[in-house]
Amino acid sequence: MADYDAIVVGAGLSGSTAAYCMAKAGLSVLVLERGDAAGVKNVTGGRLYGHSLEKIIPGFASEAPVERKIVRERVTMMTEDSCFTADFHSASRFADPACASYSVLRAEFDAWLAGKAEEAGCDIVCPAHADELLEENGKITGVKAGDDELTAEVVLLADGVNSLLGQKAGLKKELSPHHVAVGAKEVIELPKGVINDRFGLNDGEGAANLFAGFASGGMVGGGFLYTNKESLCLGLVITVADMAKSSIRLPDLLEKFRDHPAVKPLVAGGKLVEYSAHLVPEGGLAMLPALSADNLLLLGDAAGFCMNLGYTVRGMDLAIASGQLAAETVVEAKGKGDFSNAALSGYKSKLEQSFVLKDMQTHKHAPDFIEHTPRMFKEYPALAADVFTQLFRVDGTPSKLMLKKALPLISKVGFLNLIKDGLKGTRAL
Amino acid sequence: MKKIAVCYKWVLNDGDIRVNDKTRDLDFEKSKPQINEYDRNGLAVGVQLKEASGAELIGITCGVDTEPSAKDALSRGPDMVYYLNDPALAQADSAASSKVLAGMVRSLGDVDVVLCSECSSDDFAQQVGPRLGALLGYPVISYVSAVKLEGDALVMDRKLEEGTESVKVKAPVVVVVSPDVCEAPIPSVKQILGAKKKPANAMDLAGAGLGPDAVKPMVTVQSVKAPLTSRKAVNLLGDGESVADAVAKLVKQLSTDGLL
Repeated sequence: MADYDAIVVGAGLSGSTAAYCMAKAGLSVLVLERGDAAGVKNVTGGRLYGHSLEKIIPGFASEAPVERKIVRERVTMMTEDSCFTADFHSASRFADPACASYSVLRAEFDAWLAGKAEEAGCDIVCPAHADELLEENGKITGVKAGDDELTAEVVLLADGVNSLLGQKAGLKKELSPHHVAVGAKEVIELPKGVINDRFGLNDGEGAANLFAGFASGGMVGGGFLYTNKESLCLGLVITVADMAKSSIRLPDLLEKFRDHPAVKPLVAGGKLVEYSAHLVPEGGLAMLPALSADNLLLLGDAAGFCMNLGYTVRGMDLAIASGQLAAETVVEAKGKGDFSNAALSGYKSKLEQSFVLKDMQTHKHAPDFIEHTPRMFKEYPALAADVFTQLFRVDGTPSKLMLKKALPLISKVGFLNLIKDGLKGTRAL
Repeated sequence: MKKIAVCYKWVLNDGDIRVNDKTRDLDFEKSKPQINEYDRNGLAVGVQLKEASGAELIGITCGVDTEPSAKDALSRGPDMVYYLNDPALAQADSAASSKVLAGMVRSLGDVDVVLCSECSSDDFAQQVGPRLGALLGYPVISYVSAVKLEGDALVMDRKLEEGTESVKVKAPVVVVVSPDVCEAPIPSVKQILGAKKKPANAMDLAGAGLGPDAVKPMVTVQSVKAPLTSRKAVNLLGDGESVADAVAKLVKQLSTDGLL
């Protein structure tokens, strides 16, 4: 008889969600988390799309430690000395909890969700490092943590982007530098009122800003800025393949981004209170691993559930949904008393029927498009800057019609390129 | 040897204390409570003695909100924990803490060994061990760097300035251990899970045979401020200046400051 019905490795969002749902269904669950507390090893740029958790814990935002509800969306094309920003603000259109998104800090948020799982009856042990999967006659029977052997009918690997246990079990390969990005972020403390004023927000409202171009030093990637209650998250995410070739280090690049004339006034007077970095799975379906094996499931970042479309970045909502679907699968398997891969493969079907794999399928060309359209990160921000400079610059020299101003600039980049990238982009994103 | 009590303090993690640059006040908002790191060695010694003697090992602590400490303490080896909470202990000094802990030890009855560590990471007063000895009427063996059970006696090394002293003492005794007495292992998963099944008992002042006066401190803290590090910030090697000139300036500066 196994010690537990299920052991979950990792108390991030997918792991804790799975644990919570399984415990609510009456299963005995052990969660092992390597950090001193849930969330301390996790990093997010900043935003949780709430829809998937809303379905599991309706009204979660009223009790969970969310920072601000995002009502202002900004996408910026940046050159060394300019910014062109699309700014969309609407409190009412994002008011419905079914589509609301929130800035969050993982140390607080994950600890809250793990606490919910514990309340539901899970055993959560942290710090505990799951070193190996236990195997008996080729069947996975649990995990080894230090000298302790802990057994379960099924093991859920929610052990993050690298998922060394998933690699050892042969479910996934070592990460390719093209499929993974490296993110670095600073948390900069500022008074609530200052943040409200600088970003045009009321109490409780937040802004999200993504940056392409100068922020990433022209490399594949971008910058982000999210408002928390009393701090800002400022950071960069850049493909590892590009970063490896770069002569500038990520922390230095982040510093240049922070010192950009359009960013500097936003963070001015703030106090740097936290610095963190993390890998981000950005390969999409191309890096999709085997999601289950006998007595084994893969969740969240470990399964590569993440989408970067340039204008939205999602991972946490996918992780939460994958946790819920994994839990459903395990509860069904428990009912049948069958934890073989055949019984657990329903997990993949559930994901395919849910937004998780549907959305990743819809946007399956996005990672490839973003990686192979370097103009997005260099030429187009420069073009935007030149066009708007022509439009708004008045210096007394004879003026020209708009079209005449723009045409020579566009021809620098190439009309065909612009049309091609435009078409490809709208199809992929 | 039947009963060993090991004292531990539930303190704020000093690594997460922040200093307000302007007022030099300490900000404990990010600090979470934990078992005083020094006391983890006391708990580890307790486990060794329990294994050698078969005695019952009891963790004891007092403070304002110490119940959450029990699970952590129990994962480190004690058979049970007694904790005493009283709001007045927020201002406790070593005298008050010692009185409460002594009362708890007495109420446990026939404790052979009381284990303490040298200090707590918050107050660092280094008094509780010796005070407990005085209050309980037990001999105190301090600066203990090694403990061994020999029959019904304890043989201990005391690390002193002049060398190492070896002492043999029969119970009852208060033993104050140094951090180098042994490794304090990180609890394993099974130990952490097992801790939930062990008893954590609340005790109140009356249960410890004490009146409200016991928690009154003799020392009241007026303020706690972070130390101020001041630098002269003299730039000796300015633009275009030669190293030789800078060295000459440095020598002059140091001799003016009376450092040469």
